[in-house]
Amino acid sequence: MTSGDPVQPPRRVDRAGIVIAALLAVLAVVLVWDTRVLQTTTMYGMGPEVMPVVVASGLALLAIGNFIDALRGSLPARESADPVPVALILVGLALLIAIIGFGGGFIMATSALFVTTSAAFGRRAILVDAIIALVMSTLIYLAFDRLLTLSLPTGLLERLL
Amino acid sequence: MFQFPARLVGAAVALSLAAASPTFAQQLELKLMAPAAPGGGWDQTARSMQQALVASGVARSVQVTNVPGAGGSVGIAQFVNGSKGDGHQLMVNGFVMVGALAMNKSPVTLDQVTPIARLTEEIQVIVVPANSPIKNAQDLAAAVKADIAKVTFAGGSAGGVDHMMAALFAGAVGADAKKINYIPFSGGGESLAAILGGKVTAGISGLSEYDGQIKSGKLRAIGVTSEKRIAGVDIPTFKEQGIDLVIANWRSVVAPPGITPEQKKTLSDAVEKMVKSDAWKEILKQKGWEDAYLGGDAFADFLKKETVRVTDVLKSVGLVKS
Amino acid sequence: MIDTFAALAHGMAVAVQPMNLLYALIGVFLGTAVGVLPGIGPALTVALLLPVTYKLDPGGSLIMFAGIYYGGMYGGSTTAILINTPGESASMATALEGNKMAKAGRGGPALATSAIGSFVAGTIATLGLAFLAPWLVDFAVRFGPEDYFALMCVAFITVSATFGDSPVRGLTSLFIGLTLGLVGIDKLTGQARLAFGVPELLDGVEVTTLAVGLFAVGEALYVASRRHHTEEKLEPVRGSLWMTKEDWKRSWRPWLRGTMFGFPIGALPAGGAEIPTFLSYSTEKRLTKYPDEFGKGAIEGVAGPEAANNASAAGTLVPLLTLGLPTSATAAMMLAGFQQYGLNPGPLLFAERPDLVWGLIASLFIANCMLLVLNLPLVGLWVRLLAIPQPWLYAGILVFATMGTIAAKPSVVELSMLAGFGVLGFLMRRFDFPIAPLVVGLILGPIAESQLRRALAISLGDPMTLLQSPISATLLGVALIALLAPFVLKGLGRFKASED
Repeated sequence: MTSGDPVQPPRRVDRAGIVIAALLAVLAVVLVWDTRVLQTTTMYGMGPEVMPVVVASGLALLAIGNFIDALRGSLPARESADPVPVALILVGLALLIAIIGFGGGFIMATSALFVTTSAAFGRRAILVDAIIALVMSTLIYLAFDRLLTLSLPTGLLERLL
Repeated sequence: MFQFPARLVGAAVALSLAAASPTFAQQLELKLMAPAAPGGGWDQTARSMQQALVASGVARSVQVTNVPGAGGSVGIAQFVNGSKGDGHQLMVNGFVMVGALAMNKSPVTLDQVTPIARLTEEIQVIVVPANSPIKNAQDLAAAVKADIAKVTFAGGSAGGVDHMMAALFAGAVGADAKKINYIPFSGGGESLAAILGGKVTAGISGLSEYDGQIKSGKLRAIGVTSEKRIAGVDIPTFKEQGIDLVIANWRSVVAPPGITPEQKKTLSDAVEKMVKSDAWKEILKQKGWEDAYLGGDAFADFLKKETVRVTDVLKSVGLVKS
Repeated sequence: MIDTFAALAHGMAVAVQPMNLLYALIGVFLGTAVGVLPGIGPALTVALLLPVTYKLDPGGSLIMFAGIYYGGMYGGSTTAILINTPGESASMATALEGNKMAKAGRGGPALATSAIGSFVAGTIATLGLAFLAPWLVDFAVRFGPEDYFALMCVAFITVSATFGDSPVRGLTSLFIGLTLGLVGIDKLTGQARLAFGVPELLDGVEVTTLAVGLFAVGEALYVASRRHHTEEKLEPVRGSLWMTKEDWKRSWRPWLRGTMFGFPIGALPAGGAEIPTFLSYSTEKRLTKYPDEFGKGAIEGVAGPEAANNASAAGTLVPLLTLGLPTSATAAMMLAGFQQYGLNPGPLLFAERPDLVWGLIASLFIANCMLLVLNLPLVGLWVRLLAIPQPWLYAGILVFATMGTIAAKPSVVELSMLAGFGVLGFLMRRFDFPIAPLVVGLILGPIAESQLRRALAISLGDPMTLLQSPISATLLGVALIALLAPFVLKGLGRFKASED
């Protein structure tokens, strides 16, 4: 949300801090909102709605605390961040989830993650990395499946083994 | 908690089996889902079935998959939606799933699956600390009737078989089941400690979990839930003490919806053959499970009746809205 | 007492036969090899390898079993230290400082202090088991829900030491953890909270998913985002590969203190390993002479929690051997070990089969020694892992981290949570929120809530039950002192400083 911000001079309103405070407040509201369907079925002691309300109150107070910190600009200074590698890794994770979700199997999924992460850290030899990833994840798959009899998600590649 | 080691042994046995190749086998290749993590009772049942099916030559290969989540709600949803009409799939389930589906308001129900057979069951027991003034089921009944709030029951998770049993006990002795003071604990060890420490009035669990403590005299068993006395168990049933409380924690196996009658017959025959095999009997002995095989329409009937009963009990304690 | 020694000596005599030593070595090796795989904790490690021991004679199999068990525990700590991927909640505290040490080129001493600390703690705790078990178990059973709640209060106040510089940001982190702890089916009434109709959420947030997401994935994202700044260079070894004299000096007290936390709390039926490890971490952070190093790789922060973890594992044997209560996955594994001989540990086991009990205890000793023999030479090899080029290292870490989740729960929801926690971890690092309190909140919050509600249900809603139990009243007193002590100490410190 604030990627690319230069190091901020102190005593300025910190916009990221305000967003954090707002998110905490929203979380508190969600907690209380969620308790509306709970029914106190326990006849004795404390019901299931007490703890969420306590936590929500805490979150609300902390939202105020973070808000004050943000207004004062007393958050620690941040260095600039490069969004490209972060996005690449997130794409890798999304690919992993999608491949597993659509039944593409363990080997393809983890290989995709390996290649994108490696690219995020500056490597450009995608083919080499893909081969390394495929070999590694195949070995892992075999170790789990054959030696430990723990089933990992199977797809096309796994069925060939 | 007690089921933990056994399940691990189960996983272990399955492993050793994977190494040993069966001498003869038919062409049947099965996929068996345990709607729980590698662990609990269902996983253990699935892996034992895998072992027995292969060892007795009923199936050529059996693959166990684990789909954990919410007392089986996640597993059954995947099973019903993803395996429709597949005659090579089975899923393990049991008493706890009936309650979990009702409580989690699951869109998928057990009416949708094709019942194959009930396999095992475990009877339940109520215990009190050795120094408790309560000596038998009638004493406990009297205490419940006198002031139901003061009688605290320790047992497993809310809405599970132990909880339902507490409600059934209260109902059977003429008290208001809604008012029971039931205290769920996370593991057998934890609830057992609460009972031994005298923190609660009574404890409810499967018999095997408290067996050692009962035999050593640290706990007093005041009744078991079987219909008749079981050989080798020196504890009176509730029935013979005049309280109508019969319940068992059963486990069964079901097939996906929409399979043909032939496919159903193949699967039912395979399970029946497995149940009669020596390998299965050996496993039952090892794990201390009671054989409760019930196949065909009789099981379908049983499943329906249990569903109705469980829903009623959960409504009576307010866990399911009526 | 003399009988105890004689029985132990006999057990030892059996265990040190050459063949048995070999079995112990094989066991430790296999246990470590499988234990380093993510998603496979010590309990599952033993479960998977148990069949290997079936083929041996009883003595040999018990010894190999003990070796596998210790190897599995140590394997989990190894991944926590080297690649920030704790395999189970008990090694989470180890990852906090251990990984920082590894990144600073001090992975060798971190692995060594954790191995030696485990050995020391295991040894002391085993002695405690031998001589204190009957007394301790009596105390443990007396611990009721109200007492656990009071213990949680002590834990919550102590972990405030992990909050970092800003109380507001520390508490924010803790409360996000508490919120995540509410997700799922309420243990006491069976109703869903914060599940939003997603069945996968009904079981709550998996601690390992959260930890791996925050630690491993979050870290990878953070390092990637800063690459253009400073090319972070990992030197696998900086300074000595072994523990220096200084390291030893800084480690031995945390080992002992960790043991003091781990053993008694582990002996409690609902004690577990998480509370003592975090208590130990916070205590070391408070007591250290090098507060600046905490958060950057302080050896005390590895030595203490590792010792506590191991001691608590031995502590769970107290209720198991004296009462037949398996109170943790660890204890359940021990039970599985006994069941190989058709024995069910119960109240009578100690009296009826002392040979087996002492055989097991002696085996644990031997396995512990073997762990040192095998793993200390391997330390050099392990830390070389960090010499892998950065792109491959982090890609490998992410594959390893997700693999644990895929193996345990291969669902889209679970993996999305892992990725989500990764982003959360990244943002928390970027905005300088401490991460440890979040994990603490997730672990301790639900325990505190259920125990309090159990206590209140038993007392029919009377809160005085918290003060009526002597244990609970004492612990609440300790909590109060712990709450006030920093202020008092600060005052004293100022006084001292002015005197200098």
